[in-house]
Amino acid sequence: MKFLRLIIVPVIAIQCATVAMTVAAAPPAYLNSVAPILKNRCIKCHGPAKQEGKLNLALLTGIARGGETGPAIVSGKPDESPLWQLVESDEMPKDEPLNGDEKKILREWIEAGAKELPGEVPKEPDGDEHWAFQKLRAVQPPAVRDDSRIRTNIDRFIQARLESVGLSIGPEANRAALIRRVSFDLTGLPPQPAEIEQYLNDTDPRAYENMVERYLTSPRYGERWGKYWLDAAGYADSNGYFGADTDRPLAYRYRDYVIRSLNSDKPWDLFIREQLAGDELAGYQPGGEVSPAMVELLEAAHFLRNSPDGTDNSDGNPDELRADKYAVLEGSMQIIGSSLLGITVQCARCHDHKFEPFSQRDFYGLQAVIYPAFNVEKWVKPKEREINAVPAAELAAWEVKAKYVEEQVAELRAQLRDWARDNRERGNTLFHDDFDQENQKVAATWSNKAPGDTAPSGQPAINLDSPTAPGAQISQGVLQIVESRDEGDRALSTQQSFDWTPEGEGAWIQVTFDLIKADAAPYVGYLLALKDFNDTQNAGGGNLLIDGAADGKATVHVDYPGGDSKLRGTIGQNGYTPGRSYGVRITNSGGQYLLTQLVDGISEEGVVELSAEDLPDGGFGFEYCCGRSFVVDNVRIEVADASPQTVEARKQLAEAYRKKTEELNATIRSLEAQRGEKPGRLAIVCDLSPEPPTVPLLERGSYKAPKDNVGAAAPAAVSETTNPPDLIARNTSTSHSTGRRLALAQWITQPNSRAASLLARVTVNRWWQHHFGTGIVATADNLGYSGAPPTHPELLEYLAAKLTARNWSPKAVHREILGSAVYRQVSFVDPEARRLDEDNRLLSRYPLRRLDAEAVRDAMLAVSGELDQRSGGPYVPTVRDDDGDVVVHAETPGALRRSVFLQQRRTQVVGMLEAFDAPSIVFNCTMRTPTTVPLQSLKLLNSAFVRSRAATFADRLAHDSGEDSRARIDRAYLLAFGRAPTAQEQSAALQFVSDQPAEYDKTNGVQLAWTDFCQMLMVSNPFLYID
Amino acid sequence: MALAQLLHAESAAIESATGSLVGKQHHPATADSVICLFQHGGPSQMDLFDPKPELTKRDGQPYKGDLEVHFVGQQGNCLASPFAFAPRGQSGIELSELLPHSAGIVDDMTLIRSVTTESVDHESALRLIHSGKFQAGYPTWGSWAIYGLGTSNQNLPAYVVLSDPGGMPVDNVRNWTSGWLPAVYQGTAFRPGGTPVPNLATPQGITASARNKQLRFLEDLNRSHMLQYAGNTELEARIANFEIAARMQTTVPEALDLSQEDEATKKLYGLDNPITAEYGTRCLIARRLVERGVRFVQLFLASQPWDTHSQNAATLQGLCGKIDQPSAALVQDLKQRGMLERTVVMWGGEFGRLPISQGKDGRDHNRHANSLWLAGGGFKRGYAHGQTDDFGYAAVENAVSVHDLHATLLHALGLDHQRLTYPHDGRPGSLTDVAITKAKVVPELLVQAAAP
Repeated sequence: MKFLRLIIVPVIAIQCATVAMTVAAAPPAYLNSVAPILKNRCIKCHGPAKQEGKLNLALLTGIARGGETGPAIVSGKPDESPLWQLVESDEMPKDEPLNGDEKKILREWIEAGAKELPGEVPKEPDGDEHWAFQKLRAVQPPAVRDDSRIRTNIDRFIQARLESVGLSIGPEANRAALIRRVSFDLTGLPPQPAEIEQYLNDTDPRAYENMVERYLTSPRYGERWGKYWLDAAGYADSNGYFGADTDRPLAYRYRDYVIRSLNSDKPWDLFIREQLAGDELAGYQPGGEVSPAMVELLEAAHFLRNSPDGTDNSDGNPDELRADKYAVLEGSMQIIGSSLLGITVQCARCHDHKFEPFSQRDFYGLQAVIYPAFNVEKWVKPKEREINAVPAAELAAWEVKAKYVEEQVAELRAQLRDWARDNRERGNTLFHDDFDQENQKVAATWSNKAPGDTAPSGQPAINLDSPTAPGAQISQGVLQIVESRDEGDRALSTQQSFDWTPEGEGAWIQVTFDLIKADAAPYVGYLLALKDFNDTQNAGGGNLLIDGAADGKATVHVDYPGGDSKLRGTIGQNGYTPGRSYGVRITNSGGQYLLTQLVDGISEEGVVELSAEDLPDGGFGFEYCCGRSFVVDNVRIEVADASPQTVEARKQLAEAYRKKTEELNATIRSLEAQRGEKPGRLAIVCDLSPEPPTVPLLERGSYKAPKDNVGAAAPAAVSETTNPPDLIARNTSTSHSTGRRLALAQWITQPNSRAASLLARVTVNRWWQHHFGTGIVATADNLGYSGAPPTHPELLEYLAAKLTARNWSPKAVHREILGSAVYRQVSFVDPEARRLDEDNRLLSRYPLRRLDAEAVRDAMLAVSGELDQRSGGPYVPTVRDDDGDVVVHAETPGALRRSVFLQQRRTQVVGMLEAFDAPSIVFNCTMRTPTTVPLQSLKLLNSAFVRSRAATFADRLAHDSGEDSRARIDRAYLLAFGRAPTAQEQSAALQFVSDQPAEYDKTNGVQLAWTDFCQMLMVSNPFLYID
Repeated sequence: MALAQLLHAESAAIESATGSLVGKQHHPATADSVICLFQHGGPSQMDLFDPKPELTKRDGQPYKGDLEVHFVGQQGNCLASPFAFAPRGQSGIELSELLPHSAGIVDDMTLIRSVTTESVDHESALRLIHSGKFQAGYPTWGSWAIYGLGTSNQNLPAYVVLSDPGGMPVDNVRNWTSGWLPAVYQGTAFRPGGTPVPNLATPQGITASARNKQLRFLEDLNRSHMLQYAGNTELEARIANFEIAARMQTTVPEALDLSQEDEATKKLYGLDNPITAEYGTRCLIARRLVERGVRFVQLFLASQPWDTHSQNAATLQGLCGKIDQPSAALVQDLKQRGMLERTVVMWGGEFGRLPISQGKDGRDHNRHANSLWLAGGGFKRGYAHGQTDDFGYAAVENAVSVHDLHATLLHALGLDHQRLTYPHDGRPGSLTDVAITKAKVVPELLVQAAAP
């Protein structure tokens, strides 16, 4: 019954025919019984998109008006109603007639008079008639019988509905509950003890309003409400699309823009205009100077870069590359559709929308708005869509500093490298090639065949002494590996074969080379024990591939390539960068062989265990794959024996190196801190050319089937003569931009237009959802025909009108909602209310809600007193730990900051947040589905994060309240639950903290008991739920 | 609340919430669980399951006719399979010499040689076979199955993914996402080795008795909070989940502990052989999980090893050496324990491969024909379904789309693919989206023909 509340809501609203059948005792109601049948069975042909016979059965007005042949229904007389006649004779629906139950409902509804049908309807509809696509209606708050619970107009709408079923808005919650509710709602954090005290003792009649105001003006408000919009806008710190999910390092500037905008109560229409067309509003010219005033607007337009974009890493054939580019446009379309228009646009990519008045032409018309900035024919990869957005002098000053730091760092690294080279352990050289002899040929020592093989490795074979890929040549004293993008693997191997299993424990063999240049570092690969490369002898073992990877850890495969290839693990830490020496060492550990990576001759952390079978005699070689060309020098293979002295010397060397590395890293960190981040780096959006591009309508959405060129146009169904869909006619183009996005921004926010009305409805509905758990329309991303019908349609009109009337101020709407009695009522359930309003869609009580993911984590930090309140800046990096959990390491700077500042990587959602339903963003998320699963309990009981918070919470209690257990318990309840414990709770807690030490060691039993107590408070329902 | 009550409450809630028969089946099921041995990359049907003498005859000759190739410009001539086919078992279904162990279970198999899909792009094709849609973000069929069936063991996740120690498959965690179904229906990936699920172990220093006392104190806190919310099932579930979580701490490691298996069983799965040991271990764990009530188990491979763009033959040889024996052992073992009757084993990848060469010795992607087998849980025994043309390029008889496959698999689980819906985008979302995909149950695959 985990997700009862949240699941039940959309379904009750949407209903399906099966439910309707079971409630046929009273005459069927249009909304619950008839509409679902018409929707599922009729409107594909007689609906908003495809009005065959000019009949739209998706709307009551459409049914009342009928089609070309006249009215569809004669009230009370099914046998005279054309709709019934055609259905009864199974002529309609054509593909599959209605079943008996469905027919019965339809007939009974008509028989009973089809009471919901409007009496008078205009002969010809004026544009689309779906409620959400109309201009805002002026609504009068309804009269209520009992106005004792009415504080604001909102309450009248709610109370009237409640009275219709014999209920009423509940009594006001107590102050302790209210301040906790408001604090979490507006800031995502629990109220501070001082704030609680102030509010509880405030005798001002406006105490509640003043308390709300304090949280509305807190900078924490923007972090909370900014995050809601960031989810809806599809914000992520990674590019997604491919599994690699690469970094998007500058996205944070958009995140900070959003938070600042919310905190400054920026009018929402302006906020949206800036995000759609910030660059055009700023008059930005590609290549031109960026004034400080422009920066904010350029940051805003990053909204259109939130879509997944894999094109930095795309490879494959031209068709695939094209698909990857179009995917970016389609992602943005989906985000615009669900976050601004409340329409599911993506269906119309391939065909006219089946359920909405949104045609394929509408889709490509809208795509033509953003296309000039994301022109697939002139594509610019995300990494290249970046500029420096600071005054030249400031940047120049930073660059001087940066150059100095860079030189210092290079010098320090060189010192360590030289030290390592001087002090590294040496062995006897078995092989050395410095490529320095005059007229030296590759073919003299190297081969395109592995030792013992009769055929070259891979096809085509490596061209020895040739620059033609795949090729190998010696030039200016170095060896050049020239790779193509041909399929398959190859290796340039030594002709000589080596014994890779040194004899005697502690003995080693190692191979090293200097990496001079690498086009695709860290992707450098090399192979040991090369033999039978093409698997013709089908012998196992050998062909050990050491393959550099993006995370800095080189993977080790045995018996590479082919299907029998096995991954054995990873070695190394820091990846391959030119200018250093790399290689591996194999050490006999008595029965096993330990493989470690060498950097400048010193072993790094990370070991892979190998057996003798893995290491047959064979060559050493460089790997050819995937276009990875690189240049090396000084290939050296050495062996060394082990005596007790050398073993001891090795230990000392490793320790000395570790120390030196630590010192170096500390110095580098302080140098980099002095230098600071490069100022003003911005990931921007701007049109690639002011010329209108050709934007083809794609037949069936296929990139291979481009049809007519489509002009930039807004969706027709939400347009009108005073706000026409033709965006080009607005003449917003300039010498450097098509102005299309600016035109769309104007269209969607034009005062008193259908479009702005829709935007206002979509926006306040989503806010209502954040305040109450469910929107007035339960499908926050879809207010169209196929969306859920609103539970309180007039209230939605009222709130949307309020938003536009108050200059689109979000805070004005928050005040309005938070001031209502419906918001301030208790969350307890009255048995009568439970019977008559089981799912609470009528809001007969404030909905009891669990904290969302960010609030769970942030509240634990706040309660333990550890919350790091620094706002903004680059994300705090997350990692996947050895347990497979995604965490922020405790030592990471900013580890205790609010969740909104943690890295939002699409495929690497922080475990603590994911467990509590934080989304992994594909496109965007306008609505989360809360779940209740045992994995959450595991996290709460066993994760290091929660346990650490509990320990600090316990320390805080000791610090705040001294040795008095009762005082500590009072304090703990106040911090965690925002109230004092009852006498019974107080004694139960006392009992626990006095018994629990017996479970532990004497030395720290008391301390652990308090930690246990604090942890249990933080994982309990009174903590996790907002009453 | 007692566990039984909780479970009852849960299914009742789902049922009332969705208005459909979710939580129990639409019709009698022939299977209770599924083990999907997914073969990432697209195994080559003409080298493994679909013998093509005509292709052998025309080896090296230009292919006559149009072919949809993925890597444009690399297409070569007809490429015969170098592997010999022969009739196997009583049924005489022909399989390649690369699959000597699968040959031993052929009489328990329904082999479909005519699976078709809609994309030759790995990611899109993976999403099609897992979720029925080419876009990301939709629920996988494992999630749909769990949504329909509920769970039969609250102490283990209902949908478990056994990932490859070598790394993530292509398309990563999307292969087992619940999309817009509630997250509770998502696959839980058990990591190989180490801790299978994060936070499964009690923090060091907390004894069982200390933990018990913590939980008792916690329960008191929660119970007193509930006084004002009597009957709130979400709060009840959260209280019960702490007990379940505590039990999972022992049930999960127990399910993964192979020391309880006898030597013969280990040998059957190839645990004594370094080549088969890894995959065999996961196949054996899959059986143990299903034995303990897990509904849906999926095995994935790192990256996409079956993607044989070059060295097709050598790569297949290597992979079959690793995978054939454990896969067959799983079917055999389930059968000897009487579990195959109620468990569907599915073996296959996202698409097939082309009859012509790519480069010298590779094969390119093919969405027009793919071979895939099913065993147990009501699927026919020793039956081959569908045919491809003489070259194995396209299904020409009894084509089975990935959507038909989904419909049929749900049918075996007692679920009607048209009625198993969840509200999405304002309408009943479903796995098969029949209005668009025209998905239908394929009765010929099942022992008991499906009702029309």
